[in-house]
Amino acid sequence: MTVSLELHDIQGNVVKGYGRQHFSFARYILFAIHDERAGRKFIRNILPLITTATPWKTCDNDSGGVPKPEATTNIAFTYHGLKCLGLPESSLHSFPTDFSDGMRARRDILGDHGKSAPENWDPVWNHPDKKVAILVSINGQSTVAIENRYKEIQKILEGVKSGMEQLCGHRGESGAEDLPYQEASAIFNEQGDPTPKEHFGYTDGISNPFFKGTGKNPNLVIGSGKPSRDNPEGWAPIEPGEFLLGYRDESQETPKAPTPPLLAKNGTFMVYRKLHQNVNSFDTYLSNQSTKHPEFNEEEIAAKFAGRWRNGAPITRFPTEEEADNFVKSVKETKKALDNAKDAIELEEAELLYSVLLSQYSAFNYDEDLDGSRCPVGAHIRRCNPRGSLEYGTKAYATPGALTNRRRLLRRGLPYGDSSDRSRDDGNHGIIFMTLGASISRQFEFVQQQWINYGNDFKAANEKDPLLGNHGVDKLGRGNGKMLFQKNKGSDESPYFCSHIPRFVDMHGGEYFFLPSITALHFIGRGTVDGT
Amino acid sequence: MSNIAGKAYAMNVVTPIKWYRAWINRLIFWAGGLPFFSSHLKGLTTLSLIHYARWALVSPRQFPRLDESQPKETIKYTYMFFFSNFNGSWNQYVDSFHMAIPAGLDLFWHKNIKYPNSIPLQPFHSYINHNQIWTNHYYNAYPLATSNDIKAAIAVKKKLKKFIELNNFDSPELFQKEYNKLLNDVQEHLNLMEPTPIVSLSAEAVEKRRTADHHRFRNRAASSS
Ligand code: HEM
Repeated sequence: MTVSLELHDIQGNVVKGYGRQHFSFARYILFAIHDERAGRKFIRNILPLITTATPWKTCDNDSGGVPKPEATTNIAFTYHGLKCLGLPESSLHSFPTDFSDGMRARRDILGDHGKSAPENWDPVWNHPDKKVAILVSINGQSTVAIENRYKEIQKILEGVKSGMEQLCGHRGESGAEDLPYQEASAIFNEQGDPTPKEHFGYTDGISNPFFKGTGKNPNLVIGSGKPSRDNPEGWAPIEPGEFLLGYRDESQETPKAPTPPLLAKNGTFMVYRKLHQNVNSFDTYLSNQSTKHPEFNEEEIAAKFAGRWRNGAPITRFPTEEEADNFVKSVKETKKALDNAKDAIELEEAELLYSVLLSQYSAFNYDEDLDGSRCPVGAHIRRCNPRGSLEYGTKAYATPGALTNRRRLLRRGLPYGDSSDRSRDDGNHGIIFMTLGASISRQFEFVQQQWINYGNDFKAANEKDPLLGNHGVDKLGRGNGKMLFQKNKGSDESPYFCSHIPRFVDMHGGEYFFLPSITALHFIGRGTVDGT
Repeated sequence: MSNIAGKAYAMNVVTPIKWYRAWINRLIFWAGGLPFFSSHLKGLTTLSLIHYARWALVSPRQFPRLDESQPKETIKYTYMFFFSNFNGSWNQYVDSFHMAIPAGLDLFWHKNIKYPNSIPLQPFHSYINHNQIWTNHYYNAYPLATSNDIKAAIAVKKKLKKFIELNNFDSPELFQKEYNKLLNDVQEHLNLMEPTPIVSLSAEAVEKRRTADHHRFRNRAASSS
């Protein structure tokens, strides 16, 4: 069944990963609302700037779409924000509890303790009398584009005088505590080109769920849709209701949503987390572990932790460093051939080869690797998206993705800060992690709690995600995280043990947001939401 | 009043069936034990969060009276009792069942009154919620252990015992070789058990109050002795 999404009514960041489309810069701005009318006026005035999911014109195709902008803008609300805007009680009560509780109240579910506890978050989240109401995000193809858009928004803000306030208190470089916004961007190489890397050196932003109605190339379903025994490719597109309210979901119904239905349809929920990366601890751990137990070198341990080599090649498919390097080399060479193609035949050949190669980044599952001897069962990407492996090869479920299809995360967001000084953990470097979905508790919270900070679904008891887990410390102050790299089952090789893993990622602040449709924004702006 | 003890959750669901239809359900349960059908229920054993699940039919005549003095009731229906202990939250369990073995569920609850089928999810949730009986008292001797942990411990114990009995380690090299083989053999069972992640904010609040009460009780007992 084909589904068409109302792309013109959906905010752009739901369907488009801006980062992958040359938007290398972003700025996230938080606001408090002091006066309902001012808040509504702000929404009405910013509405023309909001980027929708309408496809962008490509140079070789002027059949449809809108021109690609230099900068995009999106807007989202906390529960508190919706209250400030005067939404009726009946609508407010119809929102799910995860959202109305907010991220701070849910810290015990998320494992945000110790250094990651809300008291230690960036001050912007801790103003006693000024709670975050609105998040505006700008993504830009250049810093100039960001700055221009930012100025436009500042003007709109001036128009509502003291009725709204842009909140300061984002931490930044050199101990800055009180910045008026959060800056994020791709990490740039020495030539000044943006890279797809994050601060631990991994290529990020490769896998994202493929769902119906986005108009994306249908071949991309392999490895990014849901595992399926009914389709010859072994994959089928996910129902859009997993990521958008008002559409059919994987349980064959429209997801639970706030009322009235027009408020919810084409909207979704968004999780924002500023995740600080302890780069020194990470480098040190790899180096110490590979020195003490040299069966694996640093690159290999890094790859086993993530489930991908740092160059992006999936380890279950490219089990040795050499294979992974050769794979990425051939991707690069094919890209070069594509750029330098002299005639139509060369171009066509290169294009075909290139798309086949690219697909290998995502087109895999763990069926041939159930014992985890290539990609450990506890690796980050295998935990966060087990790709049908929770059926343990038994073909016992109605569908191989029975335990995973409703837990998929649409990831957005970008790295922030600079980690060129690797000699220290503190400073300003990490990821602004954003994930979108129809249910915060079923998708993000479940993955964070059950799959990142716990391991029973993988038969790994309390073992945590090596990269993201909130590992504690033992009596000597060493990290107490553990991980086991499985070996070929039935061989006489002992598994490889990593112990004393410290916490590599700390939480520095965040919140749950509702990302309404354009229609809902109109109603909220005019103050005409009424569920009766 | 809580269905949670350590890592385990106790679910009791009681649902009515018209008495003259119940023989079909009995037939289904009987067939469920046959090799042909039980292969269709592999999902139940693969869902590793389940300690156990049991279905039982009780016809009107079978309802016990505590004592002769308890008045006889006229019971109209045959009832199906469903009991299960599992690891994780209500949602995790019900949703896993609904996604993994929807056809199996529809068979077990065949023609139960107002059973809505296991797909879609929201009506199924309401049905289970409506018919669930809350647990008054629930004791768990091993609150840190999930069903996976128990199976793992049994497997490790068995293999370790065999390894010790083998005992033909003539040289350190041979020992190392056999020991590595043992580790390989148990690699999927070597885990660390710690307390459960919180099941919900309300379950956590109950747990905190219980611990506080427990401390108060102990202190009082200590000071009075
Ligand atoms: C500093 C924090 C994080 C780092 C460094 C990190 C790193 C990575 C890397 C290197 C990949 C592989 C690249 C790719 O497939 O796109 C990845 C994938 C992924 N990560 Fe993370 N991650 C972080 C936080 C998180 C969090 C908090 C979650 C979920 C709550 C998460 C969920 C995922 C998912 C779902 C995938 C895709 C898996 C797949 O589809 O195969 N990540 N991450």
